[in-house]
Amino acid sequence: MDWLERELKGALSREEPPVDFAARVLRRAEMPVRPVYRWPRWLAAAAVIVLAGAGLGYRQYRGEMAKEQVMQAFKITSVKVNRIQSAVEGVGK
Amino acid sequence: MTRLCGTCFSLSKWAKLACLVLCFAAVASAQQFQFNLDRLAAKASDTVEVSLDGSTLQFAAKFLDSKDPDQDKVKKLIAGLTGIYVRSFEFQKTGEWTAVDLEGIRNQLKTPDWSKIVGVKSNEGETDEIYLRKENGKLTGVAVIAAEPKELTVVNIVGPIDLDSLAELGGHFHIPKMDTPKKDTGKQIKGAASSRPRLIY
Repeated sequence: MDWLERELKGALSREEPPVDFAARVLRRAEMPVRPVYRWPRWLAAAAVIVLAGAGLGYRQYRGEMAKEQVMQAFKITSVKVNRIQSAVEGVGK
Repeated sequence: MTRLCGTCFSLSKWAKLACLVLCFAAVASAQQFQFNLDRLAAKASDTVEVSLDGSTLQFAAKFLDSKDPDQDKVKKLIAGLTGIYVRSFEFQKTGEWTAVDLEGIRNQLKTPDWSKIVGVKSNEGETDEIYLRKENGKLTGVAVIAAEPKELTVVNIVGPIDLDSLAELGGHFHIPKMDTPKKDTGKQIKGAASSRPRLIY
């Protein structure tokens, strides 16, 4: 018998469980099972809808803000350019 | 191993180069000159600051209603723009801003890319100037300086824009268009042609 066989025999040899193994297993089996919390599907779907709605709402808000800024910028600029143009045309006449 | 490290270095170098190109592109598409007017904001009774880059302008364009005449005009005007920057200050009393405040801006507009097409100065202390920026014969920007004793406005529009259409908007927005100027304005035109000047380029 070479060393490998000896090692294998030792590793695969039958080993008796500890004395209180069966009792411990039974005790564990009798313990109440901790409930695993699972999100209801409707709640997950509602969360997705709310998040998507919030995203769209925020996009709309940003768009409206940008639009207001653009309109304000053009309002200021056009009034000034209009005034300058009128002054230039007035002198040319 | 050396080859691998060489590749890593090369990738890093390319990443840095890409970052530099992106930064340059971001800067290039931004304002064409610096306003440096922040100090006036503290003195002003009313301040308007608008800084919109190209992507924000195009995003805002989606929210402009084509059925509204004003919004439809603005939508058409911003189609090719890559930025619009406005600083407007209103003051309670005169003398809150000085010519020095505008010198910094004027110096930036003295480069060959910019040309002053209109300069209006009145006896009432109003100074209005319009500059155009052209690159390879194409209009790439407009600068407007409108200074009154109690008001100062500086605008930089980046990209091609039709000034006549822009001026026409002044007659919209529920603001009467000034077609008939006052007779004794005492205005002096600087840089205006001897024939009837128009803001057409």
